[in-house]
Amino acid sequence: MKNVRLWLAASLMACAGAYAKPIEVPVVYDKLPNGLKVVISEAHAAPTVTVAVYYGIGFRVEPKGQTGFAHLFEHMMFQGSEHVKKFEHAKIVEANGGNLNGSTRLDYTNYYETLPAEGVETALWLESDRMRSLDVSAENLKNQQNVVSEEVRANVLNQPYGAFEWLDLWQNANQNWLNAHNFYGDLHDIEAAKIDDVQQFFKTYYAPNNAVLTIVGDVDAAAVRKLVDKYFASIPQQPVPKRPDVSEPPQTKEKRVNQTDKLANLPALAIGWHLPDQQSPDYAPAVLLNLILQGDDSSRFYQRLVKEKEISIDWSGGINFELGNEFDYDGPMLLVSRTTYKPGHSADEIIHEIDSIAADMQQHGPTARELADAKVRFRSNYYDALETTGGKANLLASFALFRDDPSQINKVLPVFDAVTAAQVQSVAQKFLVTANRTSIDRVPAKEGK
Amino acid sequence: MIARMWHRHSCLCFGKMKRRTLLTSLWHSEPSQHRQECLCHIDDRQRTRKRADNARGDAQTTRAKTRTFTLLVAIVAFAATTFAQATPPPPAPPRPINWPAISESKLGNGLTVVLVPLHNVPKITAELSLLAGRGAAYKTQPGVAQLAARVMNEGTATRTSLQIKEELRSIGGALSIAVDHDATAMTASSLSEFAPKLLDLVSDVVRHPAYPKSEVALARTNFAQEIEEERSTPDFLAQEELDKALFGAHPYGFTVPAPAAIKNVTRDALKTFAATWYVPNNATLVIVGDFDAPKMHAEVERTFGSWKRVPLPPAPKVILPAREKRQIYVIDRPGSVQSTILIGAPAPPRRSPDYIPLRTTNMIYGGAFYSRLTRNIRESKGYTYSPFSSADLRRAGGAFTAGASVRNEVTGPTILEMLYELDRMRVEPVTAEELASAKTYSIGGMELELESQGSLATRISTIYIDELSHDFLQTFRDKVAALTPAEVQSSAAKYFDTYRSAIVIVGDYKQIKDQIAPFGDVKVVK
Repeated sequence: MKNVRLWLAASLMACAGAYAKPIEVPVVYDKLPNGLKVVISEAHAAPTVTVAVYYGIGFRVEPKGQTGFAHLFEHMMFQGSEHVKKFEHAKIVEANGGNLNGSTRLDYTNYYETLPAEGVETALWLESDRMRSLDVSAENLKNQQNVVSEEVRANVLNQPYGAFEWLDLWQNANQNWLNAHNFYGDLHDIEAAKIDDVQQFFKTYYAPNNAVLTIVGDVDAAAVRKLVDKYFASIPQQPVPKRPDVSEPPQTKEKRVNQTDKLANLPALAIGWHLPDQQSPDYAPAVLLNLILQGDDSSRFYQRLVKEKEISIDWSGGINFELGNEFDYDGPMLLVSRTTYKPGHSADEIIHEIDSIAADMQQHGPTARELADAKVRFRSNYYDALETTGGKANLLASFALFRDDPSQINKVLPVFDAVTAAQVQSVAQKFLVTANRTSIDRVPAKEGK
Repeated sequence: MIARMWHRHSCLCFGKMKRRTLLTSLWHSEPSQHRQECLCHIDDRQRTRKRADNARGDAQTTRAKTRTFTLLVAIVAFAATTFAQATPPPPAPPRPINWPAISESKLGNGLTVVLVPLHNVPKITAELSLLAGRGAAYKTQPGVAQLAARVMNEGTATRTSLQIKEELRSIGGALSIAVDHDATAMTASSLSEFAPKLLDLVSDVVRHPAYPKSEVALARTNFAQEIEEERSTPDFLAQEELDKALFGAHPYGFTVPAPAAIKNVTRDALKTFAATWYVPNNATLVIVGDFDAPKMHAEVERTFGSWKRVPLPPAPKVILPAREKRQIYVIDRPGSVQSTILIGAPAPPRRSPDYIPLRTTNMIYGGAFYSRLTRNIRESKGYTYSPFSSADLRRAGGAFTAGASVRNEVTGPTILEMLYELDRMRVEPVTAEELASAKTYSIGGMELELESQGSLATRISTIYIDELSHDFLQTFRDKVAALTPAEVQSSAAKYFDTYRSAIVIVGDYKQIKDQIAPFGDVKVVK
């Protein structure tokens, strides 16, 4: 009874669209004459700042025949620029008390540091120096080719399942090479990269007019804006190449793939469905559908497969799974599920249950309670993404890079609150269908396992 | 992040691990992660993966630079047409750190309550730590602590497992339980507007776990399967072997039960375990987030005030084994394309005065990205992607660990460099520049933890679990700032004892056998 009252309270609140405490992220946005997008957001809850540069180049559109190049290049950005010698970037950030990293994703490559806020100018200087110039040698390249090859071994080749739920699933589910190649890279391609390729890539993609600079933290926005001018305004813009066509032809027939795994002890299954376009009205319902199917331990897939049927030992999944979130990409996307299951069971059994859950959702849609709770769950998750300066910088940069409008960070929740059960049902009818699905059943190669 | 906030995965310390999005990153950093995000212990600053150079490395880098210049004339010339400041701006002076207000109290039943308002997002995070580690009762009932924790939130006297999960869902909540070396820790969060409901759930789960028969049976089966799954990953195998080597029969030497032993853990044993250890006088409740402290205190009284105190069994006196010589342990993994190497040595408990010097020493060796180890075996030699070292300090003792995963053919050379860098820290003082940088990095890391409710809750819980001084945060900066090169050197001399270290290697023994033989006595353990 208590239960029901609480749910009513939650759903009323969601319906009214008025929360106990709405949050509004301050956003200052403009562009320098050289085309660099600049986002500044004050945040005074902690004495820290994140400075992040997102370049509009991800592994999706890296050059054909050079798999893994976008990621290898990311490593080269730490190998030296005009005034910052190899690896000194890390030295300087850490000597200022900060953390740093960079990562390559589908549609961007980012570089960021989070540090005590008094280090903001140092971070801006560092990022401006490597946007302005890259100073690397063939020897640095060889070194990082080795490092990246070890990374691929450590994260893929020497691990059970080899990250098959994104690497292999994307390659099998998609037809356009841009979406269907090995994003981490074949070792052969990584080792074949030349210093000229590195220089050309820098010149082509690492221009101010192909980037967003985001500063979030315990700083004064106006003062930081002046520093941005000081360090970035004189970096010349470059002609940025036209983005290739990343569109994916519709899948018309189910794909089932079987793989064996020399390192795994237990079988695992990965499933992917093509999702509606991020800008379409179907997207928000699809995001909530994902939460209803696999948003937590109460969700339909987990309850059916792990608890009722006892076939799976775990269940995970999501949108932009293992690579990001619902907003930090720009192009075709998969909804992914991944499960490790018990020996003696089969992928067919799991897919049979998935089909039955999908059929129910297509026929009846979500329950009122499921939908109301999914909206609360979404809001709670969204606040998690806004908790740290790095999390906010990620969303602000993505909205600036892909939509030229970082203020969308404050416009997300109402869109999700307006979603109806009928819309979720309709999305299930359109996308949660067999012909739109690819699955990989990965079983141990070893006898007796 | 949003799409993958929920990633259920088995975790060696049991339970639920969030897999980190680190793929295709520059380095494998895990800054200030939550305790339960595996490996289930907090190490400092960057939890598992860290980083560094040596005199030889420096020389190579300089040579490389000279050549670079010629190659890159085109780009530099083009870039140099515009203004660029050649040196970093002078660092701004450090500001005073405003640590959040921390109010501590004890309820009549012995429950320690620590409230820390942090208004970053409209959420709260509660961490309830019970002093019952995974090695509790492991000799007679291996796995009992892990199973008791795992089934704790699968049903109470008045709620089914599904009801708990659905109620959590309705408040934007999450609740997970992890068991590390010293504690069973429940971490729960929700939107702050539903804080009273979250406390109701946390209280019900810890006070009235029902251990339903069907849930116990399922948990036993799945726990056994998860252990099988973990045993296919080199990192798990290496860590388990290292803990065994360093701690022997001490509870810290226990990671997981043999799958076959799990069926012997009865439902009654779980109930007894919970009744013994899940009691208020054995618990600390830390709540961080968007709330008003007096109101929250009243809520804690309401939900936990009637929890009954129970006398605790006397703590058994356990002795940490002393190590007499270096020993190499090899876990043979035929077909492995890398060797996963861990070098470990015993370290002090966290409450020791040696903690802060060791934490800083670790950062210079391999606990930061610009550390000696990373500069050497990654940035100079290209042997590895993810060298790291960590000071994993616990309540009763700890481990200093250095590690790297490397291609088979450089296994021997990597061990040579790892040992060399350890010994170098014992023999020569670090430079003033290195120490200054490590101090700022160490202090900055603590400031960065203030961004996240979960990180702060874990940091503060550690103060209580490991019995640190309650002004730990407030005095941390001054203690770090006072360190001298001599203290760092003596910390290394004491804890980087390569001659008594345990070296664990998971890899294809046939391919690496000759490379590792020169480093000491080799025991092939499986």
